Amino acid sequence: MKCEECQAAIEDYIDEALAVRTAREMSVHLSSCEACSRCYEEFKREQSIYASYQRDVDVTPALWAGIASRLERQPVIKGPTFFETLRERFVGMFGAPRLSPAFAAALVLVAIGVTAVIMQYAGSRGSEPVAQNASTGTQGEQPPSNPGTPDIRKPAENPVVDQSTNPTVAVVKKETTKRPAVGPPTPEQLVREAEQKYVQAIAILSRDVNERRSKIDPAVLARFDAALADIDRTIAETKQATRQNPRDPIALNYLLSAYSKKVDALRDMARD
Amino acid sequence: MVEAISLKGQASARAGTLMNSAEELTARARCGDHEAFRSIFERYARPIISFIYDMVGRRDLAEELTQETFVRAYKNLGAMREETKISTWLFGIAKNVARESLRSRIREDHRVGIDDDRIVEMSDGKLPPDRELLDKELNGVIQDALGSLDEDKRLVFTLKVFQQRSYEEIAEITGSSIPKLKTDLHRARAEMRRRIQPYLGVGYEV
Repeated sequence: MKCEECQAAIEDYIDEALAVRTAREMSVHLSSCEACSRCYEEFKREQSIYASYQRDVDVTPALWAGIASRLERQPVIKGPTFFETLRERFVGMFGAPRLSPAFAAALVLVAIGVTAVIMQYAGSRGSEPVAQNASTGTQGEQPPSNPGTPDIRKPAENPVVDQSTNPTVAVVKKETTKRPAVGPPTPEQLVREAEQKYVQAIAILSRDVNERRSKIDPAVLARFDAALADIDRTIAETKQATRQNPRDPIALNYLLSAYSKKVDALRDMARD
Repeated sequence: MVEAISLKGQASARAGTLMNSAEELTARARCGDHEAFRSIFERYARPIISFIYDMVGRRDLAEELTQETFVRAYKNLGAMREETKISTWLFGIAKNVARESLRSRIREDHRVGIDDDRIVEMSDGKLPPDRELLDKELNGVIQDALGSLDEDKRLVFTLKVFQQRSYEEIAEITGSSIPKLKTDLHRARAEMRRRIQPYLGVGYEV
């Protein structure tokens, strides 16, 4: 590196804005060139002067008190909460004043469909060769009897193992036939059933993700944990809402949607 | 399985300790969690008030504008893009607030000529006062020198040198291109250097 190049890049070197290779060349040059080294030391002295700069200003308790009082006086325009977003979405989608059995059944179908995907994913883990299933991701849409992929699931644990090529339909059939003949289930029962399926799937996926934690990039993991914490908070809030009003269709919708979101997040992380 | 955490009542303190990254605090504040917003304030109030002070040069005004910055931030959390860092976003608001203030008032003239008494005294080779006095004097010189920079240069100098922001963040805060920022910063450094030159060899060895 020439002296002109070195001195032109000194500010970026101080700011740590140089590419690693250039920075290394700078270091080598500075260690052998007295003139450039002197120039660099002068820059460092400048930096130390700026670092010692003390302002006639401080963060006092009065500062927050002023903000807090202004926030109390003024209406707060905040973004929609996750709960509110879901509420809008569901109201917009369905607009149902009450939870109809057909609608609840559809929710269950979705819930169990997702669960079936998870079960299939879980079943494919550990089987040989694993790559055929794991690499494609959304294997739930494929027939379970995929040639070359041994199916290790037990029928009792995995309702996807059925004659149908559509696992979701197969599951619904199975669930329907298993139901006792004491009358049709209530919408709430159907939702609870779906909830159980989600909880089961979440437990499996959480275990998988926990096993992979050490291999995941810390920044990605931090974002994932933050997202998961958000979802958990929504689940807790919606659970509380459904306890207070067990027949509130919106609250029930939220609950299932939050579970679905959690399954999706976990599945993405388990799959990566 | 991740346990659900309630943010109500006593659980909020626990949640606060568990979920205290900037992203988590922001997510909670966006959901209307007042305590999370207060934590954001506690974390960023000092750099924000310092930045505003460097921009406007007056303590009372810096305090007032810092309050305005955080009030605006709270009211507009919903409009913040999720991928934006909260610190970058806050500096962006603070920059707007400071600029509005600078433009709405008749600025006091902070400009100090090169024949400023303090500099002349040092340049005349008089013995330096003790360190405390020197610090105080130098603080005044730096503040005056900052005030003499034009707004764009002062902005980039403050964000880069004092607040240690990356060029990418400064570009996001100011809306300027990185080449322009580098040019402004280079010129700002040269001007600042000229003002503090007499102090470079006086007891500020690294």
